[in-house]
Amino acid sequence: MEVYTALNSIVYFIREAFKGFFRNRATALGSVITIFLSLLILGVFSVGAVVVGNVVDSVESKVSITAYVADDAKEKQIQKVESYIEGLDGVASVSFTTKDQALENFKKSMTSNPDIVEQLDGQNPLPASIDVELSEAQEVTAIAEKIAENEDFQKICDNPDDPAESLKYGQKTVDKLFALTNYVRYIGIALIGLLMFIALIFILNNIRLSILARRKEIAIMRLVGASNGFIRGPFSVEGMLHAFVGAVLAIGSLQAMRMLALPKLQSALPWLPINVDGSTYLLIYLLLLVAGLLLGLLGSAWAMGRYLKI
Amino acid sequence: MTNAKTQGIPAISGEQPSVEGVSSHAAGMTQQLSTVLPDLDVAAVNKVAEKPVIIFDHVSKVYPAQPKKPALDDINLKICKGEFVFLVGHSGSGKSTFIRSIIRELKPSSGKIIIMGEDLASMRNSRVPFLRRNIGCVFQDFKLLPNKTVFENVAFALEVIGKSRHVIKTQVPEVLRLVGLQDKLDKYPDQLSGGEQQRVSIARAIVNRPPLLVCDEPTGNLDPQTSAGIMDLLVRINRSGTTVLVATHDREVVNKMRRRVIVLEKGVVIRDQDGGVYGVE
Repeated sequence: MEVYTALNSIVYFIREAFKGFFRNRATALGSVITIFLSLLILGVFSVGAVVVGNVVDSVESKVSITAYVADDAKEKQIQKVESYIEGLDGVASVSFTTKDQALENFKKSMTSNPDIVEQLDGQNPLPASIDVELSEAQEVTAIAEKIAENEDFQKICDNPDDPAESLKYGQKTVDKLFALTNYVRYIGIALIGLLMFIALIFILNNIRLSILARRKEIAIMRLVGASNGFIRGPFSVEGMLHAFVGAVLAIGSLQAMRMLALPKLQSALPWLPINVDGSTYLLIYLLLLVAGLLLGLLGSAWAMGRYLKI
Repeated sequence: MTNAKTQGIPAISGEQPSVEGVSSHAAGMTQQLSTVLPDLDVAAVNKVAEKPVIIFDHVSKVYPAQPKKPALDDINLKICKGEFVFLVGHSGSGKSTFIRSIIRELKPSSGKIIIMGEDLASMRNSRVPFLRRNIGCVFQDFKLLPNKTVFENVAFALEVIGKSRHVIKTQVPEVLRLVGLQDKLDKYPDQLSGGEQQRVSIARAIVNRPPLLVCDEPTGNLDPQTSAGIMDLLVRINRSGTTVLVATHDREVVNKMRRRVIVLEKGVVIRDQDGGVYGVE
């Protein structure tokens, strides 16, 4: 019997929620659209965050350390340093670039700007270097520090006053990338916050209208002793209904983007690791649904707090 | 309209046994006879043995808007199980405040109200709905839902407290038969006369069989004859053991019935008399 009445109540809540939803179609549309937009942007940013994470990973995997060596370094010393670096954890391979090779590389990268090469006037300002490929990108800073502290390296490094300055590695690129994505993230959060607030106002207004439309019924319900939860039920469900419709639209749009737009984007920007696996998408969709339902509940709770005195 | 009612009443009397039992009916009859003699009230004798349903203990209510004029001023009274009590007084004498305090729509500024053994002041908000399930309420303006039929209006009271469809299907027609509206289940409130609408609202108030029925000006919108019909109905409900409290300023009704009368004036009980009359100028 208990189960039966509980089920009965839920059916009643849903029926009343739908009535309220369709009674105020126009404003309901407004709240659904704002919920949809805020969730869509939340979803796009979530996918974007995953993609950026992939990019950062791929950049990090290409991280290498270049240790510049003074012109007067002896081959023995260089070999000693090389074997030291090879012995470090997280190092994949070590190779040596002579001054001539460095100049060749420079000339190759400057083919569009041969004037600069001519102005070198036969001289070679470029230092020789030890190139270190890493197997563990996260360790780049630690490995670079170890190289800088190595006494043998300090003797032969290009800049004896500050050995660390003779080391170049990709950490700075990664940091810049992070700084950029942080800005984008803040803007995204602000935008999502603003949209969610607007959505909340829309839900508030909608539930208010529903409460006003049913105030006679509510008065009678209170009179005959309907429990507070029972009186509130339809409005909570109505708030969640708005959110649910908005969330379904947002998830649908995101899925459409994934199926239609992403393959085109991928073929246009083949270097960008856009591929996000299905389980991540599922997680994001779930996030949108939960965020939406919370939004709906919050909005209706707010409205009931203001307009439904029990 | 008068016609419909005079037809209705005998039909109702015929249904009496199905309501609550014959013995209380008979007791009610002697009770009514005895009320002709003001000082020998059977109800008063019964009352001593019964537990009080309503206790007001030094109850005062001051509205913030009028701090110098208390709506209720140090009210002390007891109403016992099975009593039929009139609460009379002019507009603004505190009748409605009294009624609304009983269903805890209002909290008194000071004093204690105990309804069926429960102290309303210490009652948690979540318990209030359960208090109200034990108090039927009838108002001057009927408070019916215009978009629901007579049946649905009464059923609504059971639906929202979670009664099963089975209970609704058996109890609603029964209570509508009791108030004489068994032929109007599918009518909408605006297709009924005022008296019939009030019968629907009484049916809704008692469908859950509350031990206490509280009426705030139940005949305020009705002509004298219709009022008498409504009062008959309330008396029959009272005979089945329900305590009935009627706030009214309908002099005729009060004088004819000779029941306990509590007179309020400016928030003070100025008279509390068994078998009394309206008596205020």
